[in-house]
Amino acid sequence: MASNNKKKILGMDQDQFNMFMGKYGIGIILIGMVIIIAIMKPMFIKPGNLLNIFTQISINGLIAYGMCLAITTGGIDLTVGAQLALVSCILGQLVGVKGMSLIPACIIAVVVAGLFGFLNGVLISKFDMFPFVVTLSMQLIVRSIAQIISNGQAVSMADPAFKAIYSSKFGPIPRPIVYLAIVVIIMYIVMHWTRFGRYVYAVGGNVNAAIASGVSVFWTKTLCYTISGVLAGLAGIIFTAKTGSAQSNIGVGYETDAVAACVLGGTSFAGGISTAPGVLLGAIIIGCIYNGMNFLQVNSYYQSLAKGVVIIGAVLLDMVMNKKNR
Amino acid sequence: MKLKNLVALSMTGLMVAGMALPVAAEEAKAGDVNGDGKVVVGYISKNLVDPFHVPINDAAEEQLQAMVDDGIIDEFTGILDGNTDGAKQCDLAQDCLNMGADYVIILPAEAVASDPAVTALVDAGTKVVVVNSKTDSTDDLALTYCGSDDVYAGELMADYVMEKVPDGGVYVHCQGVIGNSAQIQRGEGILNKLDAEKWELAADVPCDWAADKAVNAAQDYMAQYGDDLKAIICDNDDMSSAAQQTCNEAGREDIVCIGVDGNQGPLAMVKAGTLGATVLQDGVGQVTAGIDAIKADIAGETVEKEYVVPFVLVTSENVDEYLQ
Amino acid sequence: MAENYILECSGISKAFGGTQALKDVQLHIRPGEVHALLGENGAGKSTLMKIIIGLYRQDEGSITWNGKPYQANGPVDAINQGISMIHQELNPEPHLTIAETIFLKRESTVGKFFLNKKEQNKRAEEVLKKFDFPFAPTTLMKELTLAQVQMIEIIKAVSCDAKLIIMDEPTSSLDSEETEHLFRTIRDLKSKGVAIIYISHRMEEIFEICDRVSVFRDGTYVSSRDMDGVTRDELVSMMVGRTVKNIFPKVDCKIGEPVFRVEGLSGKGFHDISFEVRAGEILGLSGLVGSGRSETMRAIFGLDPLTSGKMYLDGKEIKIKKPRDAIKNGICMVNEDRKGYGLCLQRSIRENISLPNLPEKQSGLLLNQKREIKECGDAAKMLTVKCASIEHTGLSLSGGNQQKVVLAKWLMANPKVLILDEPTRGVDVGAKSDIHTLMCQFAAKGMAVIMISSELPEVMGMSDRILIYHEGTLNGEIQRSEILSEAVTQKHILEKEFGGK
Repeated sequence: MASNNKKKILGMDQDQFNMFMGKYGIGIILIGMVIIIAIMKPMFIKPGNLLNIFTQISINGLIAYGMCLAITTGGIDLTVGAQLALVSCILGQLVGVKGMSLIPACIIAVVVAGLFGFLNGVLISKFDMFPFVVTLSMQLIVRSIAQIISNGQAVSMADPAFKAIYSSKFGPIPRPIVYLAIVVIIMYIVMHWTRFGRYVYAVGGNVNAAIASGVSVFWTKTLCYTISGVLAGLAGIIFTAKTGSAQSNIGVGYETDAVAACVLGGTSFAGGISTAPGVLLGAIIIGCIYNGMNFLQVNSYYQSLAKGVVIIGAVLLDMVMNKKNR
Repeated sequence: MKLKNLVALSMTGLMVAGMALPVAAEEAKAGDVNGDGKVVVGYISKNLVDPFHVPINDAAEEQLQAMVDDGIIDEFTGILDGNTDGAKQCDLAQDCLNMGADYVIILPAEAVASDPAVTALVDAGTKVVVVNSKTDSTDDLALTYCGSDDVYAGELMADYVMEKVPDGGVYVHCQGVIGNSAQIQRGEGILNKLDAEKWELAADVPCDWAADKAVNAAQDYMAQYGDDLKAIICDNDDMSSAAQQTCNEAGREDIVCIGVDGNQGPLAMVKAGTLGATVLQDGVGQVTAGIDAIKADIAGETVEKEYVVPFVLVTSENVDEYLQ
Repeated sequence: MAENYILECSGISKAFGGTQALKDVQLHIRPGEVHALLGENGAGKSTLMKIIIGLYRQDEGSITWNGKPYQANGPVDAINQGISMIHQELNPEPHLTIAETIFLKRESTVGKFFLNKKEQNKRAEEVLKKFDFPFAPTTLMKELTLAQVQMIEIIKAVSCDAKLIIMDEPTSSLDSEETEHLFRTIRDLKSKGVAIIYISHRMEEIFEICDRVSVFRDGTYVSSRDMDGVTRDELVSMMVGRTVKNIFPKVDCKIGEPVFRVEGLSGKGFHDISFEVRAGEILGLSGLVGSGRSETMRAIFGLDPLTSGKMYLDGKEIKIKKPRDAIKNGICMVNEDRKGYGLCLQRSIRENISLPNLPEKQSGLLLNQKREIKECGDAAKMLTVKCASIEHTGLSLSGGNQQKVVLAKWLMANPKVLILDEPTRGVDVGAKSDIHTLMCQFAAKGMAVIMISSELPEVMGMSDRILIYHEGTLNGEIQRSEILSEAVTQKHILEKEFGGK
């Protein structure tokens, strides 16, 4: 990839260079970060640790893609953290308590999560409610339902077949990485190669122009939140398999990291701008911050600070670049 | 041009860094469990913010640093932030492995959800010291467990309440984050001992370990039950001390509030006589026992499977021993 | 001759970017007179008023107020110096009381910070009494009608000791009784020595209430006259002035069968509109801003609701509830608000062009991007969009090129009826001519083109037929032959726009 870039850069004028930076600037930040951490702690780039980082970001990565769709339409989805808990509790009740087999239970859980996402979408697009308000309220509702169906109790999901969803490997590659890769590819196709993706960008970019071009704002937004729900559902399954425990108190604050990944990946809160690779890079950066800080033995009190600074820095850089583009 | 250099530099940097990776151990060292030539101790905290956990983390950091200074171990990972999240602790366990840890001290956030952290570490050959509360496979896999019995803490609270209010009445139970093992077991202890015929449970209030929510609960149930409300039993003493303060301010010093942990704030209240009692969990004692176990293992001594550090009922009589 | 003027504007010029909005204009107002300001859309009336109240600053020229050089730093400063403006669009704060509205920004206070509501209400009551305004000062603004809100604005201006009040289309939302009341107030103000600049499109009113008139045209000053001894005809000729030769690239092409017909359309801002348009025809819609032209087209395209009326495409009745329905039926609209309804500026030219046309660009579930790139590239090239690449964003384009991108996207949809609302607004001269040429090409392909324009020469130069709007209804139809034979001139059209027969 590096050699490819080199040739292009030589042929680039300032304008193209800025476009390039706008598109790939975040990748350069990532490489810079990796180099700095690796120089200070060479163990950081052992293949084992790199795989470890990718495994760790799988849950956030999945959520971030749903979040990215919501933000691209000019909204936000704050329900995702609670969706993890709901899916976990549904699995706990169906598999752990009632003894249902895994695959139907997982399908039911994901469908339920999708339904709540759909409900978010309907409330937002049909009734023109603020996404922040709707998804925040839904977060409370969903978490409450999770507590109700689990009765607040943690259910052990010790079945090795279930835990294998997270812990087993395809060859040398841990399974969560494979799931993430599949989702990234599908989301890339959905966002950049389908009609729906275009509609998402149009609705986010200029909702009136989208309507005047015959785009159904209702279906576009509703589908975005539904997909977000489904992805959160899948993430919930991975989460539950990771800890082997179905409980209602998980996933608190997970929306924050998802939003952070989106923002780092160049998703604009004004709507209409985002890229699938960008979100992945954003998620990787978040993962590297967590993992790298631990490697550098940065006092944990400073880790959130570092995360905040990196996000503001990256967005600031993006702003400056975009201003130059204009 | 600039970018080209940057890319080239980054590639070179990665390569150099890759070559500098530690290759293999020269000789087996005492305590070098994974054979990489260094003795590294990992420390996965439960979190960095609870008043109960802050002194534990501080004590651990001090003692582990002392071990590094004394040359007993080569490195420790620093205090890793578990964020009260089982999944996060699993991630941190992987991080510890990648940092070459030989021993890992973990204070589990959850009995079940943090268990994969323990199993993953043990599977990779690391010796795990579980502190404060058990995970499911702790008994089978861990080098040792250093903690206290939460059920016993609940029983201590129930005994104290029954002693103070022999006639019984209505009580409120302020819960920790629901699903949390300490919350479950302490609640279990309360029910074990509290005389069900004399005591009526007004409500289990989910307070997420948070003092402000316990204050709200105290206000609500004082208003609802008036003089019938006799006790507020809390899963931790941040909540119980705050609840007691609320009751006192409302002129209801008669309501007995009690909780678990023995944080400095509640202890000061016990000393001042504004709080009847609190149940002290000796967290520093637990983690110290865990670190001592590692020292013993490195020295080749035998290590017990379990060290139980007892809960203590702290009242005005013995508060001076624990108040700093 | 040193006449006694309260306000003298002379040699005022103002440019916005490349557009010269005002060129060396003058306006002289005497104390206590009602002075009409007359001109077509875009003649520069509003710009001059905004300079006077300090919203803009003139590039050249000077203003004298009460014999002293004058420059306002915004409306508040203008009010302090004695000049108030009553805007056409009133934006009252619904939750303020009448007293609070009147004394906004100059509240009665105790000490420096605390409001003295009692004192303020008392003062307001006195002022209201002077105008026989039948409401208590504590009444909330939201309880008043538009006419009453306007009255409050006037009262506010007078209570600020305004010596000059500018009224922009004050009667546009008033009924005849309310108008009569307004006129009484104006006469009353006049008797107190307050001068009024009265901007209106309604000739009758101007003849009824005004003492003098100044006419503007295309950002220039034409002349000022006393109302006594000037005729309606004269005023209209002054507004039109120039005779424009045909600089439009209009190509006459074969006009075919009727494609689209509407019957008795009514909605907000228009009622009982019926017309038809034929294949290959360019139908021009002319009328003042707010006369219902754009409103009708927006409703046809499904952006606004219709209250009644029927639409027929190729003889079959169609129902349009949203733009999607219109597009499916082959009716497309280039909105006058290009940034609002035309483009997603931060997305690429390619995405913008293909947005309404994506269904045809699918192969299977995915988009055929190769074909999309080729077709959008061709469309951009055909419409001579000046861009480095169709992957650049809409932001990188000039107004004219953005408009061409909008045209490209609708051209690709291959519509039967293409509605163009102000297609050349804010577009430079070169692009304007390109767009006109394109319109003729569309018509030649058999499209029915409906064009709205506020520029009379454009409507006359480009249309096969012109429909004239006046206050929400059609007020006449003109054929191209009549224009070519000069049987109908700009003057005729303008008269019809102003409600004449």
